[in-house]
Amino acid sequence: MTATQERTPTQGGAPDAETGTRTINLIQAVTETIAEEMERDSRVVLFGEDVGARGGVFMATAGLQERFGPRRVFDTPLSEASIVGAAVGMAVRGLRPIAEIQFADYMGPGFDQIISQAAKIRYRSGGQFTAPMVIRTPSGGGVKGGHHHSQSPESYYTHTPGLKVVMPSTPYDAKGLLRSAVRGEDPVIFFEPKRLYRAAKGEVPAHDYVVRFGEAAVRREGTDLSLIGYGGVMPDLEKAADALAAEGVSVEVIDLRSLVPWDKDRVLSSVEKTGRAVLVSEAPRISNFMGEVAYVIQEQVFDSLTAPVGQVAGFDTPYPYVQDKVYLPGPNRIVAACVRALNY
Amino acid sequence: MIQPFTPEPIRFVAEDGTPVQPLPERFTPDLLRELHTLMLRAREFDRKLITLLRQGRTTFYAQSSGMEATQVGLARSIRVGHDWVWPYYRDHTLGLAMGVPMAELLSQCLGTNSDSSRGRQMPHHFAAQAQNFVSISSSIASQVPPAAGNAMAQKYLGVDELTVCTFGDGATSEGDWHAGLNMAGAAKAPAMFVCENNQWAISTSIREQTASETIHIKAKAYGMPGYYVDGNDLVAVMEVCGYVADQIRAGHGPALVECLTYRVGSHSNADADAEKHYRTREEVEEWLGRDPITRVEKLLEHLGHPVSAEERAALIASTHREVDEQVLKAEATGQPDWRIMFEDVYADLPGHLRDQEAFLRAEQTGQAGQGGQA
Repeated sequence: MTATQERTPTQGGAPDAETGTRTINLIQAVTETIAEEMERDSRVVLFGEDVGARGGVFMATAGLQERFGPRRVFDTPLSEASIVGAAVGMAVRGLRPIAEIQFADYMGPGFDQIISQAAKIRYRSGGQFTAPMVIRTPSGGGVKGGHHHSQSPESYYTHTPGLKVVMPSTPYDAKGLLRSAVRGEDPVIFFEPKRLYRAAKGEVPAHDYVVRFGEAAVRREGTDLSLIGYGGVMPDLEKAADALAAEGVSVEVIDLRSLVPWDKDRVLSSVEKTGRAVLVSEAPRISNFMGEVAYVIQEQVFDSLTAPVGQVAGFDTPYPYVQDKVYLPGPNRIVAACVRALNY
Repeated sequence: MIQPFTPEPIRFVAEDGTPVQPLPERFTPDLLRELHTLMLRAREFDRKLITLLRQGRTTFYAQSSGMEATQVGLARSIRVGHDWVWPYYRDHTLGLAMGVPMAELLSQCLGTNSDSSRGRQMPHHFAAQAQNFVSISSSIASQVPPAAGNAMAQKYLGVDELTVCTFGDGATSEGDWHAGLNMAGAAKAPAMFVCENNQWAISTSIREQTASETIHIKAKAYGMPGYYVDGNDLVAVMEVCGYVADQIRAGHGPALVECLTYRVGSHSNADADAEKHYRTREEVEEWLGRDPITRVEKLLEHLGHPVSAEERAALIASTHREVDEQVLKAEATGQPDWRIMFEDVYADLPGHLRDQEAFLRAEQTGQAGQGGQA
């Protein structure tokens, strides 16, 4: 069964009696946050293909139309240009649209609307008109989806000034980042690593909180090497760090969480401490966003480096269907890159 | 009631200025004179801007000469500052007729400090918040889906507003155009789509653009009425656009209006000698014979209220004077400095832009050190 065929809506976790925290998965965090933001602000509307009665192909919007009605949660024509473009117009006119693009791979027809309209209307009008909006979209591989259901196109968007680009890897961050996205004043591309929708479970507080963009999370502290990633690869970074820890290597694991803006200070101070950096993402290597991170590391803390900055990325091929797991970086490839840096 | 999908463009006044159907009462000589003044001023604005181009004081300009009836007629169906407009890049006459100050237009074309879009866009791409005249984009038809969304928001908010979206004939080939009309149709959003069919997308003729006999019939595919209007007949454009706007405001959903007109000048200064390359002098001469301003003058003559040569000359002279004055005023405000590059990219300046701004500040003040952009 592929992820697109999963139909069971996620179940909520029961709150801890003392702390009020609950353990939920990432997709549930998305659903809850949309609901909470719609509850909070009547300007928030949600739309896209199949988001209404069906609740989205991944069930990320399950139950929301029932709860908020078809005026606020609705299906659109099957047209990414319409969905993104309409979100721009709605935002300009004062709503807070959350647009779902069914798969990040399908954003192509909406690309012009993203880069020509959403990203630029504030700049080109001198701030007279703005488009605060969120485009949510599942991205990344690991679900046996082939190249039109598994790509990681974030670099197309990080390359466009005016957009903010984020990708959570935990339920906590999904809630906090999505709240920031909906409440912010800029257009945000909110990538959801689809293979973590149900795999990533974690605690979320009951209270309202946000995760600000541009603040990376240190998943574990270490002294020998900085292992930096975001999105769907984060569990593999943890596994690689575990494997290296078993060999006595102390790895610092950093989750960027947002790419534009990205937390340069956190990354640089970590690399200054450890002297080594390995950067991981599953997007193809050429023009990979991590190339920018590597560049800044060598430019600004070159003297701290005891090894070249390592990079583990996807291959520069269209995403393959059968060799899904081979394409993805995976813990072994990450460990090998770390070992190269450690033995340099 | 005005019928959609007519085989011929709807017309009220013939080219010789005689009404071909009863003139609606509101078209008094006073109103016609007022509109004639607007049209003439817009044309002279064109002439002056071409001069500014030749003087090297601006770098791009897209004339609307020949299309004044379409844009002025449309402007009069818009409740300025209440309805919303997503225009295209040949709409300065529409802007002027909606009351966007000439000073604002000129400031934008000159990229001065008085430009509300702060010298960031190429000339002729203005925005005017007071008129809800949304920023013009160069990418063709990209304003159409947002216009649909704007109208959907109006419906959601329950406000009594209309969204007007304009485009040329070339835009109707773009995917965004179809996406936007389809979306607005499906959502029954209060949007009026207006095609200013001037028959040439730079050098590509409407016949090469589409096998469709007309543009307005495409409305059928999106479940909305399509109206076909003589875009050089001011009375017809005002009547049809006014009627369509009322229909949309009454909750009947979106509509497409095709105004058949002609740009008698070049696309822009990029193809200043259009006749030499892609169209015939005869074609241009034929359309010059259908000039929308002359038609209003002939109508006024027919009604016994001719515009005298002296009046005309005075209007032209006063427009030229006003443009000259406003250009000097705008130029006196100077050019925006480098800091404008970094503002309005985001609501607040993120760290990487702060670093790049600091780098450029150091460079501009002669204090740049070694190394890259921070």
